[in-house]
Amino acid sequence: MTINQVLPFISTAIMLWFTVDVFQRYFVRRNPAFLFWGIGLAMFGAGSFAEAYLSLAWNKWMFFVWYLFGAALNAAWLGHGTLYLLARKKWRHVVTVVLVLGSLFAGNLMLQAMPKLDEAVFTTAKPISEQYGTKALDAGETAPSGALTINTTYRGEEVTAVRGLLPLGTSVRLTTPFFNIYGLLTLVGGAIYSAYLFWRKRVMPNRVIANVLIAAGALAIGSASTLTRLGYGEYLYLGELISAILMFVGFRMAAKPQPDEVVIPNSIPASAD
Amino acid sequence: MAIQTKANSKSHIPQNSIFFEKIVPIALITMGAITLGLMLFAAGVLLGIVHF
Repeated sequence: MTINQVLPFISTAIMLWFTVDVFQRYFVRRNPAFLFWGIGLAMFGAGSFAEAYLSLAWNKWMFFVWYLFGAALNAAWLGHGTLYLLARKKWRHVVTVVLVLGSLFAGNLMLQAMPKLDEAVFTTAKPISEQYGTKALDAGETAPSGALTINTTYRGEEVTAVRGLLPLGTSVRLTTPFFNIYGLLTLVGGAIYSAYLFWRKRVMPNRVIANVLIAAGALAIGSASTLTRLGYGEYLYLGELISAILMFVGFRMAAKPQPDEVVIPNSIPASAD
Repeated sequence: MAIQTKANSKSHIPQNSIFFEKIVPIALITMGAITLGLMLFAAGVLLGIVHF
């Protein structure tokens, strides 16, 4: 096995541990932030597992899980948990409805794309992140050696494209930036904002560090995903592993009581994002 | 049950700490800038300004 086949399995194991930990906290505290965090982490873990599976063999439903949960939705659901800690109640409900409906819409678009998958291009020799999208070549641009190409019409023009699993113009791909922008803004922005609040008040140094780690972890996967979009998919699995470790450590630090803290029933956490 | 801090908590950021006075603010600003860059990139992809 190569390192890129091993890394997603390690990320999956960490995310599974992390997910169980967060759901346990939700069932004890009944704070919706933990529920959304748990759902987002479960999506992250499912995406990592699908990625690991696809490094060994093809299964179109594993691809469905990888793209929908791993590439499109997980950051937004994770970030939504942070929104629950920081935003006003009425906004939380409105955004929750939008997020749920948007996720169902993306799921439906993904289902519609399934019969159109170009399964012939799949290979276990490359990470799934390097072969999921069909890429139209610009004028004068040449296809990488060994790449399968297709001549097709795209946006009214005849183009040559490097074949990928999802055909050119697949609608579900247009939804991912919306989810990822929202996820980045709430997850990273929320963690930075929380860290800043504690830092400015000069209190809770553990939560300053914890939120820095959570923000750095989320940025690690965000940056790796962007590099994948730019054609450098080989860093995605390492980015996922770094992200899983940093966010897990950050979350455990944020949730850990300080020696001079008291435990009060039914109160809202100062921040566990 | 959840965690709440005492009003007169002793858990304070240490005085004259290079880590909290220099590294943390720089890290927060840097991460904020990277976040903004990634969001602009994603918006550029969405609007068709960025081709890849």
